[in-house]
Amino acid sequence: MERKLFIALVSEDQVFAASLKKTIRESLDFVQVNYFDSGLYFLSDLPDTKANLIISDQRNTSDDWKVFLELVLKHDSFALVIFIVEDRERGKSIDMIKSGAYDVITPASLSRIQSLLHRVLRDIEDKENLRYLSDEKNFGDHIANNSRSMLSIINRNYVYEKVNATFCNAQSIKIEGIIGKPLSEIWGKETFESKIKGNIDLCFLGNTVRYEANFNTPLFGNRFFEVVFRPIKKDSGEITHLLAETFDITDLRLSQQVVNDMEEEFKKLETNLPIGFLRCDTAGTIIHANRAFLKIMECEDENSLAGLGIQEFYAEKGLFEIHLSQLLNTQIKTFGRVQLFTCNGNEIACRISGFIVTNESGNPSYIDFAFEDSSRELMLENRLLQAQKLETIGALAGGMAHDFNNILATIYGYSEMLLEEIPKSTASAEKVSRIITAITKAKSLTDQILTFSRQIDQEKIPVSVADVLNETIGFVKSGKPENIDIKEDIPVTDVHIHADPTQLFRVFLNLMTNAIQSMEEIGGTMFVKFAIVDGSLVRHDLNKDIVADEYALVTIEDTGEGMDPSLMHRIFEPYFTTRKIGKGTGLGLSVVHGIISEIEGEILVSSKKNKGSVFSVYLPVSSEYHNIEELNERGKNLLFISGNRYESRILSLALERSGYAVVFASDLNQLAKLISETDTKPDFIIYMDDSEEILPENLIDIYTAKQINIPVIMISDRNQLRSSEKLVNSGIVKQQLTKPVSLKEIHNAIQLSLK
Amino acid sequence: MAGIMIVEDDRDLREMLKISLLKMKYTVIEASNGKEALLHFKPGITDMVITDLIMPDEDGLKVIMKIKEIKPSTKVIAISGGGKAGPGNYLSLARALGADEVFSKPFSVHDLLKKIEELLNSEQQD
Repeated sequence: MERKLFIALVSEDQVFAASLKKTIRESLDFVQVNYFDSGLYFLSDLPDTKANLIISDQRNTSDDWKVFLELVLKHDSFALVIFIVEDRERGKSIDMIKSGAYDVITPASLSRIQSLLHRVLRDIEDKENLRYLSDEKNFGDHIANNSRSMLSIINRNYVYEKVNATFCNAQSIKIEGIIGKPLSEIWGKETFESKIKGNIDLCFLGNTVRYEANFNTPLFGNRFFEVVFRPIKKDSGEITHLLAETFDITDLRLSQQVVNDMEEEFKKLETNLPIGFLRCDTAGTIIHANRAFLKIMECEDENSLAGLGIQEFYAEKGLFEIHLSQLLNTQIKTFGRVQLFTCNGNEIACRISGFIVTNESGNPSYIDFAFEDSSRELMLENRLLQAQKLETIGALAGGMAHDFNNILATIYGYSEMLLEEIPKSTASAEKVSRIITAITKAKSLTDQILTFSRQIDQEKIPVSVADVLNETIGFVKSGKPENIDIKEDIPVTDVHIHADPTQLFRVFLNLMTNAIQSMEEIGGTMFVKFAIVDGSLVRHDLNKDIVADEYALVTIEDTGEGMDPSLMHRIFEPYFTTRKIGKGTGLGLSVVHGIISEIEGEILVSSKKNKGSVFSVYLPVSSEYHNIEELNERGKNLLFISGNRYESRILSLALERSGYAVVFASDLNQLAKLISETDTKPDFIIYMDDSEEILPENLIDIYTAKQINIPVIMISDRNQLRSSEKLVNSGIVKQQLTKPVSLKEIHNAIQLSLK
Repeated sequence: MAGIMIVEDDRDLREMLKISLLKMKYTVIEASNGKEALLHFKPGITDMVITDLIMPDEDGLKVIMKIKEIKPSTKVIAISGGGKAGPGNYLSLARALGADEVFSKPFSVHDLLKKIEELLNSEQQD
């Protein structure tokens, strides 16, 4: 606010006054100084004075400063009075200020006048404001103009009678542009009719109306307003006007929207995240859990967690307290693989990260936890470790068993010779017989070890899983104790797998015997189920890269004593047993594992102490064994081109045994004849690149010359790949395999090339 | 009397077999691996070959294949001791390549001798 400073200078010393006046004008350019040569003269002019600062020279004067001050302040309680006193009279100044003087200066301290004047200016401003506000009417206006709300008074004709400065400032319209104007003009007819008029009418009925609306108006644009209409009642009770309070909440709304959107997004994220999120108080009592947490911990809903502490999920007592104290120290910390019990009592491992959330004063108010289930990771790691372990033990044990068999064979042979040489029915003959019995036992042992280490010869043929299962169940049923039930769910299917039926029987018998033994004392039920599952499921469950299209899944479940989870991963190790000493050799499950691995199957176990165990056996179903009859019927003609190496011979023999009609071509003439005559024309050709008589170039030549399109499967040596490049590039070769090849790979290649 | 070749890398076992065959008055030719067996194979005097399957220097499968090529009437008994050098099924491959009988170690010499006699007799009947 621009304001001119009016100073009344009262002094009997005209010279002094002139110099002071000059000093004042030099320091302030907007000052007006009126000079009075006596106090009385000034006081007589007091009613008309505009002065807001009075400088009164009290040196060598007969005036009574007290009376002067009293009269001035009586006239204007906000008047500022500065007295000038002699240096020696400085003692008076305390009295003067106490009485209401603004300040006291001496001729010696006249240099202060400049800074003093600036202070005066500031104070005058404040005093003016105060003076203004002390007026009741002004006070109301002041409040109105300084309100952050747009205030207006509206009459019954929907016309603005009064608006405050905020109203004008907000939209930069002059007050004249509003006063006397109907609301429909200011807000637009449509907005007025649809969003304002009804509420005003309601207010004139004596109600205070409060609402929020989005006004799209020519003047204001599209904005959100909070509006309150208050009826102004006269003493008679009549309402002729209302007070409208309008507050622009657009920015608030927008920022709220942003916050809401962010909250929404965060909530979505929190709900859908595969990471369990938990908010707890500083003692670990659960306040909130997300969906993933409920899923990981197998809890029904959030309510079931009410009042629970995290520590109740911990498998190890006291561990949470340690974690908590570490967390409070470091604010943020991750604990790897914490063993937890789910709501269903299952043991899982989680990686838990904790974050301390502090309040404004820096004290912990919450703890947020993120739970990541590492059970699967742990399971896969354990499986890999276990597989490596079994592989190592297998190699060692298998090698030993092999050598040991040679030794046993020698002992066996000599013992038999000895038995023939000595007279029968003698004590010596009896002793030799016992040696032979012992050798038979040793043979059974080495046989088991070799099976476990996958070094036994399994005669693999297409086997119906259901048939072997039924046979095993029949066998087990005949000798089972009475307190044990056997329930089976074995669909009639013609699904075949490639296995040694005797060994498969051994697998099922072993698992069923174990199941029954685990229930011997308490009784129970054994469930045997058989189903066909998709390879993709197995890929996930077992984390295998290469899987068959389908698997025969056999589960053998018991309600017996179960196993300690910490021992479970070791049960396939040879001589590892959870049974009492004297029961079983401790090789049973190792043998089972060996047989299943040999046919590229998998075995999984899950168990709960005192609840029972489930063994799941996955056996790959080769698609070609889905319908074994069909394969035999097809009996495709195969032309085998190879050198004279015996590996090639072995391979061709194996293919012949698989049901293909195999013909050999050892030179070019033979080849030309075989592929051009209708009755000898093969369905496909297997070309081994060890052939010395028929080179890749020869094959290309014949194919081009005779326009032949019989598919070729090439099997090449890893080291000779380059020599066969031409053949592959020619497009004759439909499938290419590299040694060593398995029969299964060749079957697959044949099927693909015949498609 | 018939001539039998024993191909076996375990010296003690080979010795034991030799003694038991000699007792039965067979003529015995010994070889400690496949290479030696093929080198010393005399079609004129060998009626039967008893061979181990896994041996250093040319394994038993090759012995069976080659011998059946040279003299198809030779009877072959394969002895498997367990243990594998690679993929495949040695017992069934041995049969496929022409082994007339297969024994797993440790085996009864008594049973082996019975089978030898049986096979050699069947040859005489042919």
